[in-house]
Amino acid sequence: MAVDYSKLTPGQIVSHHTYQLDEDMVGEYLGAVKDVSDLPLRDDGRRLAPPMSMAALSLRGVVQDLQIPGGTLHVGQEFEFTKAVTVGSTLECEATLAQNSVRGGMRIMVVTSTVRDADGVEVMFGKSTIMLPEDLLSGDDD
Amino acid sequence: MNEGDTLLTVEKTFSQDDVNRYADAAGDHNPIHVDPNFAAGSQFGRRIAHGMMIAASISEMMAQAFGQDWHKSGRMKIRFRAPVFPGETVRASGTVRSVRQIEDATEVAVSVQVTKANDEAAITGDARVRIE
Repeated sequence: MAVDYSKLTPGQIVSHHTYQLDEDMVGEYLGAVKDVSDLPLRDDGRRLAPPMSMAALSLRGVVQDLQIPGGTLHVGQEFEFTKAVTVGSTLECEATLAQNSVRGGMRIMVVTSTVRDADGVEVMFGKSTIMLPEDLLSGDDD
Repeated sequence: MNEGDTLLTVEKTFSQDDVNRYADAAGDHNPIHVDPNFAAGSQFGRRIAHGMMIAASISEMMAQAFGQDWHKSGRMKIRFRAPVFPGETVRASGTVRSVRQIEDATEVAVSVQVTKANDEAAITGDARVRIE
């Protein structure tokens, strides 16, 4: 079912998923961004995942559940990493709509993302600002 | 590390294959990134790389400079200012803006940016890290 963006309200949880930050995902991510640096090792020998791989994962559900249309602009992004995460971690990603407004023919949405590890400890907070052309959205309704 | 110091830069050129691979890894197959026909009709006229993919260069630069402290306490606030097209070379750079003691840690603030070969800024922003 198509998302009616005008009906989304600030405070509304728009996405909630649990993902595995596994070897395959991290490997695919590192290959795509051409990051060949060695992943740091924790004292227990486990490798730390690149923080931005976790950030990418946190936005996966947002893109899918909000059915972000082509033509959407990602104009701003904030991250705060609060705990190192190892490859193989299970991560719970929840996204909440923080702002939903229309200005100059553009719908501006701010979505905050919270990522927690398997112990429920927050490991990342993010804030994404995206702009969706309103004519594009109305075109979808035709 | 002192105010005014510069970080080692990270330079990359992403191909369309890299963009497609990032789309798979991130689960973001927005046609502006992967569909040439859709992108041709967009304001950019062709496919563009994911902003987050370009921002990864900043995180890589910060991880090189600050190691595990970046993983444990990194913060970044950025704006995507210009699209990056597959085949373009981008360079992430950073300059230390301030170094200050906060409780039992040192917080380093860095002005960060990603520029294209023509010196146009693709991303600008700030990054911070606490060094314990």
